[in-house]
Amino acid sequence: MLETVIQQALNALQLGSYYSLIALGYCLVYGVLLLINFAHGDIFMVGAYIAFFAATYIMGQHALIPPNSPIMVKLVFAGFFALIVTAAVSFAIKKKPQAPGRKNYSYPAILGGIFITVTAAIYYWGQGMKLETGADKILVFAVTMPLTMILTSVVGVFIERVAYKPLRLKGANRLYVVITALMMGIILEYGNLSLLGTSRLSYPTLLPRVVFDVAGAKISITKLTAIAASFLMFALLQWIVTRTKLGMAMRAVSYDKFAVPLMGIPLDAVIVFTFFLGSSMAGMAGMLYAMNFPVLDPFMGALVGWKAFVAAVVGGIGDIRGAFVGGFLLAFLEVIVAAVFSSELRDLISFTILLGILTWKPTGLFGKPKTTKI
Amino acid sequence: MLSVTNLKVKYGNIEALHGVSFTVNKGEIVTLIGANGAGKTTTLLSIARLGPPEGPKVIQGDIAFDGASLLNMPAHLVVANLHMVLVPEGRHIFGNLSVMDNLTLATYARKDKENLPRDLDFVFELFPRLGERRKQRAESLSGGEQQMLAVSRALMSGAEFILLDEPSMGLAPLLMYDMFRSLKRLNQQGMTILLVEQNARLALDFAHRGYVLDTGRIVAEGPCDELRDNPEVKKAYLGG
Ligand SMILES: Nc1ncnc2c1ncn2[C@@H]1O[C@H](COP(=O)(O)OP(=O)(O)O)[C@@H](O)[C@H]1O
Ligand SMILES: [Mg+2]
Repeated sequence: MLETVIQQALNALQLGSYYSLIALGYCLVYGVLLLINFAHGDIFMVGAYIAFFAATYIMGQHALIPPNSPIMVKLVFAGFFALIVTAAVSFAIKKKPQAPGRKNYSYPAILGGIFITVTAAIYYWGQGMKLETGADKILVFAVTMPLTMILTSVVGVFIERVAYKPLRLKGANRLYVVITALMMGIILEYGNLSLLGTSRLSYPTLLPRVVFDVAGAKISITKLTAIAASFLMFALLQWIVTRTKLGMAMRAVSYDKFAVPLMGIPLDAVIVFTFFLGSSMAGMAGMLYAMNFPVLDPFMGALVGWKAFVAAVVGGIGDIRGAFVGGFLLAFLEVIVAAVFSSELRDLISFTILLGILTWKPTGLFGKPKTTKI
Repeated sequence: MLSVTNLKVKYGNIEALHGVSFTVNKGEIVTLIGANGAGKTTTLLSIARLGPPEGPKVIQGDIAFDGASLLNMPAHLVVANLHMVLVPEGRHIFGNLSVMDNLTLATYARKDKENLPRDLDFVFELFPRLGERRKQRAESLSGGEQQMLAVSRALMSGAEFILLDEPSMGLAPLLMYDMFRSLKRLNQQGMTILLVEQNARLALDFAHRGYVLDTGRIVAEGPCDELRDNPEVKKAYLGG
């Protein structure tokens, strides 16, 4: 009995970690722009696909690019990864203030050197790569995860730039922006469908098939990774919004957008950062989800996205703790209902309960009427 | 330092300023007085480059800082590069952040990080009540304290020129005089101030020079003592 309870709790934690990661993205964008980004569930789907192509490419299966693809394609891929490494290095060593009037060339030279070296290394490494052993695959996982997060956030930020920003500059009513978000979601779904057809891709196994025993209940490394990742991301996000200036600026925007430029803060940078954070977490969720439910299809983001959105609202949209807790709350409800009643009744009953919570507390569990949004 | 020439601005299709010209020199306190709806806030928003959709759009004329037009400069660079900072009407403090976080956020674009501790000490010396409440959520401050915070934020962002929009609004008389004493002190230390006020008597006592704005036009200007004795100004703004 206890064993079953723990097993179900672990299942709920795993499910909740996807909901939470996605809900956090809804919450951030809503807090900053008062925009319900309905494309966010599909960003999650895009993340899963990116994770698929990144992992299979790195593993030398070349799903996207055939093994005899032109040298340029391989170089672009290598260059892209090198760019990430270079950016990370430049962030770590930070530019020292230089004397006025004197130009200091060592900094760009160092970064340029790193960039070229890493590009070359990856290029040659990629040539004869055949990743077979377990340790190799963990390496693939370690590379694919940040790559997925960055590429997914590029997609998210791109959508903001081309679809939402022009509307915002024209002062369009929020309703139009929300409708645009819905359309972007549909474009992503059917864009994917037309690009890749209805083929359901199956995700390669990256982490070793080790299963831990928790008081009789079983949990695989892959599941454990998903749970740990969501808690780590939440902690990181909490740190960002309370301790860093950009994070504080996000909270400031959510309270009073008007005064933010008066602090010398470019509003656009805050918005881009918000989409970057939200989409990279969706990308992470997409990859973790694909690793646990290894069949990908273009519409996988729709229902999960909707559920995460509801979770964010029930938690109190605009409060990251609310979004995080809301995701787990929904997962536990679903698992409990499925266990006590049946899985056909799962969504019906759990959403009825959520409806009850909202009726009792319309601002959500953590929401305060009006004042704060993040 | 700042010169506004023949400025015309619109909100949508409605023209709110019909050719406003004035100057502010370094180290001066200049006031812009006028009745409600005269266009004072509109003028400051234009200078601070807070444009559409919420703000006004400049359609004619120029705003120049040290001789260079700033019409194409985004709002955050006016603060970061020119050190000209608006303390907006209604304060617009970030109520969900602590007092300290409000002040920290204002240093976002500062390049002279080494001066921050000195500036923070100065702010808490100028407004000791903020120092006592540095951990509180800014929302929980009284109106006067919020105004102090709004001014302090401008100081922390490295302002050398502040644009104040009705800093006396909603303050009890005692607090109001306190506030203006602090502002005077700032000016004595070299701060240039452009003050917008509905309370004309207070503004004319405080500033060196003034301009009177009426429905989007400057109708009188001069040193404050002259404006105080101007019969029209007396009648319209000083209650006879
Ligand atoms: N956001 C806005 N949209 C349209 N008209 C506005 C807006 N803000 C101000 N106005 C109009 O511009 C004029 C000047 O307003 P304002 O600059 O706020 O005056 P003041 O600050 O002197 O009281 C008023 O007629 C006001 O109705
Ligand atoms: Mg006004």
